[in-house]
Amino acid sequence: MREQIGNILIVTALIFIFFGVYGIFKFKDFYPRILISSKVDTVGLITLMLGIIVKSGINFFSLKVLIILLLVIITNPLSTHSIARSAYISGYKVKKE
Amino acid sequence: MGFNQIVLLIIAILGLAALVRTILGPTVWDRILGLNLLSSKVIMSIVVFAFSLNKSYLLDIAIIYALFGFISIVMIARFIEKRGDL
Repeated sequence: MREQIGNILIVTALIFIFFGVYGIFKFKDFYPRILISSKVDTVGLITLMLGIIVKSGINFFSLKVLIILLLVIITNPLSTHSIARSAYISGYKVKKE
Repeated sequence: MGFNQIVLLIIAILGLAALVRTILGPTVWDRILGLNLLSSKVIMSIVVFAFSLNKSYLLDIAIIYALFGFISIVMIARFIEKRGDL
């Protein structure tokens, strides 16, 4: 039972990550690209780590996976914000469609 | 091939797609975005690989990779923002 729930969560995470990678090829401008890819990719990573935790049960392994999950939740939006801030300050204008 | 191996294969293919955006990105920020996506894919694949082998010391590599990826992305972004003057 726990195995099947973990497998379903991991497959959902793969679908999220696929949409995040599909989004950077669909849009033609930089700002929609970074918006789509960062959000969807972070959600995919959270879902995959939760699937691994559910499949593994409560032990030392899942505690370390939880530490990695907390680290990535903090640092991934910060790095995305840093890239978008660098582009905005350097003078990359938003294109009108 | 079990379930974990198929998951690793799909993550590797998606990471290659992020590398394609890194190679042919029009601006330099697109290239940094591709590197950021590849870094998160590498973290995911390390965790799945450690789970399939059931060795918990492999997760230390994922922690180190996440910290170094964050520091390098922020430093490259600031380097371009200040136009080569850290």
